[in-house]
Amino acid sequence: MAINKEQKIRMLKTMSKIRIFEDMLQKIYRDGKLDGHLHTSHGQEAIAAGVMEALSEKDIIFSNHRGHAHFLARGTSPRRIFAECYGKVTGTNKGRSGSMYLVDTKRGMPVASGIVGGNICVATGSALASSIKKDNAVTISFFGDGATNIGFFHESLNMASLWNLPIIYICENNQYGEATKREEHQKIKRISDRASAYSMPGITVDGTDVLKVYKSIKDIVDKARKEGGPTLVEYVVYRLRGHSAGDVGPYRPKKEEEEWNEKHDPIRKYKEELIKQKVLDNPEIEKIEDGLQKEIEEAVSFALGSGDPLAETVSKYVYSEDENNE
Amino acid sequence: MSKYMYIEALRMALQEEMRRDKNVFVMGEDITRYGFGANRGLVDEFGPERVRNTPISEGAIIGSAVGAALRGMRPVAEIMFVDFIMIGMDQIVNQAAKMSYLSNGELSVPMVIRAPEGSEWFGGGAQHSQTLHSIFMNIPGIKLVIPSNPYDAKGLLKSAIRDDNPVLFFEHKQLYTQKGEVPEDDYTIPLGKASIKKEGTDITVVATSWMVKHSLEAAEELKDKISIEVIDPRTLVPLDKNTIIDSVKKTGKLLVVDESPINGGVQGEIVSAVLEESFWNMEFPPKRLGSLNTPIPFSGSLEKEVIPTKEKIKKEILNICSS
Repeated sequence: MAINKEQKIRMLKTMSKIRIFEDMLQKIYRDGKLDGHLHTSHGQEAIAAGVMEALSEKDIIFSNHRGHAHFLARGTSPRRIFAECYGKVTGTNKGRSGSMYLVDTKRGMPVASGIVGGNICVATGSALASSIKKDNAVTISFFGDGATNIGFFHESLNMASLWNLPIIYICENNQYGEATKREEHQKIKRISDRASAYSMPGITVDGTDVLKVYKSIKDIVDKARKEGGPTLVEYVVYRLRGHSAGDVGPYRPKKEEEEWNEKHDPIRKYKEELIKQKVLDNPEIEKIEDGLQKEIEEAVSFALGSGDPLAETVSKYVYSEDENNE
Repeated sequence: MSKYMYIEALRMALQEEMRRDKNVFVMGEDITRYGFGANRGLVDEFGPERVRNTPISEGAIIGSAVGAALRGMRPVAEIMFVDFIMIGMDQIVNQAAKMSYLSNGELSVPMVIRAPEGSEWFGGGAQHSQTLHSIFMNIPGIKLVIPSNPYDAKGLLKSAIRDDNPVLFFEHKQLYTQKGEVPEDDYTIPLGKASIKKEGTDITVVATSWMVKHSLEAAEELKDKISIEVIDPRTLVPLDKNTIIDSVKKTGKLLVVDESPINGGVQGEIVSAVLEESFWNMEFPPKRLGSLNTPIPFSGSLEKEVIPTKEKIKKEILNICSS
């Protein structure tokens, strides 16, 4: 499968943007200048970048509490996400969400779920709509390894398989469900093995290698679009940071963390690969990163300079038609 | 106008709305072949794509209805008994109810969940006879409809399907075989408008769902002594408080009858909402009548102790009006 230079550079930019964005977010949070529950995707950036590269504009993506990466990779402006994390009126949800329930309807991203496994059934319904309407859209449901123990996972995969729905269930296996190591929350070795219980294809792929991520998903997306039918894709990664921004992960062995950070940081690996392939050289990469750093700093300034939502709007859109609001 | 059973009125509403809008579809467990039968026969006209039998997976039924609704469909999901709705509770409370608000109205969830509730010697016992609608009054973002007769059932279901919000539509099992006049043409009843089922001057009885019939019978039996006004809110969210308040200002007395357990129930919510506006009009303390705070037992002799009956309603009315 050919991946052109433009795509390769775009994926690097996406991954770096996510990392720089979340480094900044985490720093501000630890300085005590940001509230909320912030779950970063350090170590998982290649999944968002590779998957989004394979999707078309009409596709629908259901994100989760660890969702900044999905939105940034889909093209949502860092300004709007930062503003949302600050609770500002210029945010993706005009300050109603904070970090966990981001939305970008213009990019096919409904409200993300802050409930682990909460979007799996809803995403299945989106694929059902596509199946009935025959609109050729593919639906993606992102969730973590922890969510595969929720009943909704089972109910949804069974239903999607039964009805041949055009959906891809993407498990970002970052090896920890909050503070619990995967071996302590499920016994199976490969999460994708569960696919066989639903007579659907299941694959496990190294999620720290963006080129592998893209190659693994591209054909699956095309097949779902043409023929329908679900697939369970497991990307194995490692959550390089804590569960949330305030979590320094005392429950994880230091050695394990160091090893993954040193050997499997998806961004470092990808930069080395691009240099090896002579797609980019070091100064070019630095230039890209400097540009992104400025973009993120500007996004923070934008957020800080934005206004708070107005108190009189607090009950708008509890219901779809405003006049029926109770 | 011909008479139809409540279940037939529901079926008429579904059929008419499916003809009217191709985005409307129905799904649920065994809906083409088993159960109470509101969807019976629809598959012949609309096919299995729009009339879907589902696995026994209430989370996925409700959740996939949410997802389909987000994408412009208008699903009408049936949950076989309201008791089973608890399995999909997250999908209602955390997903469906939040989409419009969190997206500032950019997303809407035009879906209906239909489910039978209630008891009175249906013999279902503790997990098949509950009245659970009170729980949902406490969740902003969803609407709640509980029709008490065939005419209302058809008009309200059509409105619920056309509404852009998640609507819970709960049908008392005893009502399914009740007959009443139902027009065969297209009509809707707006959500949020109470119905005065019988006018009176001495006491206001607010009754819901199956309790409307009991209350009307009680009013008839007491008519020589007491002039009873019976009001059916028809929808609990939105709640038409004004119709009830106007009535209480006239009668000065209030009894609220609903089959939910009393603790934290609809009855208390209606009483307090009314009292805030009409406290000084009251001639007697308001009274709530609901199920005891007890699971529904199987034996008929025990069950009738738990749930409100015509006799209990009469007793309460007499107690209030004879003071």
